[in-house]
Amino acid sequence: MLGIIEALINGILMGSIYGLTAVGLTLIFGVMKVINFAHGSILMVGMFAAYWFVILTGWNPYFAIPVVVPLLFWFGYYMQSFIIKPIFEAEKDVREPITVIIVTTGIWYVLDNLALMIFGAEFRVAKTSVTGQVFEFYEMYFLLPKVIGAGITMVCGIYLYWFLKHSRMGKAIRATSLDREAASLMGIKQAKIYNVAFGLGSACCGMAACVLIPFYYVYPTVGVPFDIKAFIIVVLGGLGSIPGAILGGIIVGIIENVGAQFMAATWTELLLYGVFLFVLLVKPSGLFGQKHDY
Amino acid sequence: MKMFKQLVVPVVALAMLAGSFGFAQAAPDTVKIGNIIPLSGPSASVGIQGKQAREMAVEEINSAGGIKSLGGAKLELLFADSKGDPTVGVTEAERMINSEKVHLLTGCWNSAVTYPTTQVAERYGIPFIVPVSVRDTITERGFKNVFRIAAKDGWWAKDQFVFLDDMKKEFNVDIKKVAFVYENGDWGVGFAEKWVDLAKERGYEVVLNEPYPSTASDLTPVVIKLKRAKPDVVFMTSNAADAILLTNTMAEMKVNVKAIISSGGGHADPSFLAAAGQNAEYLFDIVEWEADLNRPGLKETNDKYKKLYGHNLNGESVDAYAAMYVIKEALEQAGSNDPEALRKTLSEIQVCGGKVGLLAYDCIDFDESGQNKNASLVIVQTRTKGKEMDRITVWPKNVRRAGYTPVFPQPEK
Repeated sequence: MLGIIEALINGILMGSIYGLTAVGLTLIFGVMKVINFAHGSILMVGMFAAYWFVILTGWNPYFAIPVVVPLLFWFGYYMQSFIIKPIFEAEKDVREPITVIIVTTGIWYVLDNLALMIFGAEFRVAKTSVTGQVFEFYEMYFLLPKVIGAGITMVCGIYLYWFLKHSRMGKAIRATSLDREAASLMGIKQAKIYNVAFGLGSACCGMAACVLIPFYYVYPTVGVPFDIKAFIIVVLGGLGSIPGAILGGIIVGIIENVGAQFMAATWTELLLYGVFLFVLLVKPSGLFGQKHDY
Repeated sequence: MKMFKQLVVPVVALAMLAGSFGFAQAAPDTVKIGNIIPLSGPSASVGIQGKQAREMAVEEINSAGGIKSLGGAKLELLFADSKGDPTVGVTEAERMINSEKVHLLTGCWNSAVTYPTTQVAERYGIPFIVPVSVRDTITERGFKNVFRIAAKDGWWAKDQFVFLDDMKKEFNVDIKKVAFVYENGDWGVGFAEKWVDLAKERGYEVVLNEPYPSTASDLTPVVIKLKRAKPDVVFMTSNAADAILLTNTMAEMKVNVKAIISSGGGHADPSFLAAAGQNAEYLFDIVEWEADLNRPGLKETNDKYKKLYGHNLNGESVDAYAAMYVIKEALEQAGSNDPEALRKTLSEIQVCGGKVGLLAYDCIDFDESGQNKNASLVIVQTRTKGKEMDRITVWPKNVRRAGYTPVFPQPEK
């Protein structure tokens, strides 16, 4: 029984971190209607940035947040404005531009292989002051960095939700995601909104990277398993929905952890996709999907 | 169009004629060796080390004058990235054979890739040297073109249990409950099948038999299960990424066992030790080879390798290195780069001493199935040494590092 509770809580903790990467993906999709296949690679870039920050300064890993998150924001911002925008413009009459998806796939390959060339294939672990710290209750162990990570995810989720609902930029983002043309007619600069959305999506990856570094390893294709999970989570939670992405992440984390207590860990993937299909059958727009996705 | 016929055709014809003359006169051919190994994806680090070992060996062979019986022919390495994916491996083998016209193939480290890829080589009659891929059945299909240097997993699993028997006797410790945790590829599953039989023979109770997907982003659930099962000894088969996750999570969650016995692969990867650090303390790992073995010329070769690539040789890279010298010897003896002649030579060859002597045994000698019958295994224990981790040979007892007593059972956390 304790094992199941331990697994449940660990699932929620790890799941919220999956949720954080998924928030970035869902944000970009909500606004641009583009599935960003380079998302996992952006997470990898963030993780390398956070890793080197921790290794070079030797500071507490969470001090990397004010450096890595803005860095990733501008990384995403300029990637959208220099690489994605020209292709987007060629396809601007299409609601869901396919070529852009292919371009993001290209970015994924380029980034992963660049990292392989520059940093090599080794697995790197940053030993930080919080690494290996645990809480113990009745022989149940919870990693401190995971607890902090889950807390940061919640704060980010709430902040982003507030930002989109109430700030001027957030309203402009929502307007663009509802109707591009009408938003442009109201004087909203579409290109800038896209840059910001892509930047925010990447910044979420940067945040997730800082949270992962104290207990995870980095290598050039580290983003791939997170990427695949983020896709499931985003569809499960409802494309474009931020609470949906976080809740979807937690559901995935719970299925993975609790499921494995009753069956071989290999089978939890089956269970995961089973639940995923079931949700799509019952509610095709996902748990929090809306008619107008934003 | 007429102009085209008048001008271009004769020019092309002339060029081809000249080319064929050039070809006939070019003295030594090169021998093309196709290598299909994981250069990206979860097994990339071990694949890249294999690539480095091959490159170093071939550079040495070429600068020492190439293959003398072929008029100083040089070896040429071609690399294909399998990504650890069987389908990619098969496609790359087809490409290597049909487009690149390689004379030999080597690879693929991941047993799941080697298994179907060797099938392609067999169909085309191209000799395929497998430095390391331990799944038994790779050499048990009656193939004529597959030659494996490493020991097969049946031998590995058996030696792990023999080692445990010896330890129980030496330290007078009672072991009743065992747990098996392994990646769900061909390699891990192959080990687990053997483990289950061996445990039954010896009367151990198997408290957990757990495969996990090696691409998992989180292995906490497996560790929770392992902790609750309370085994005395854990047997593991992991790739590098999952070995790091499991070892670190087990240490953080304070999983108390008497011993952990791993199966090379990820646990033998230098980047595993760097990433797991002291969490890997007391781990027992079975390998074919270790840098502290007392073999002639080993230190010099290892120093050269370390200088070139920044890390020590390991069992996998030494096998890959030796594979190049086996190929060289086979070419020398066959006096031809014809795949069929090479196959015949390889099936009869016995390569002893020299660079091959860096392995833990003296000679490489393939039996009818293509398995190197001399391959043997050693067990090492990981201990902290200053800031780094040291792998100390402990078994068989006659090769144990002088003055070292293994820690068994490991202290409680």
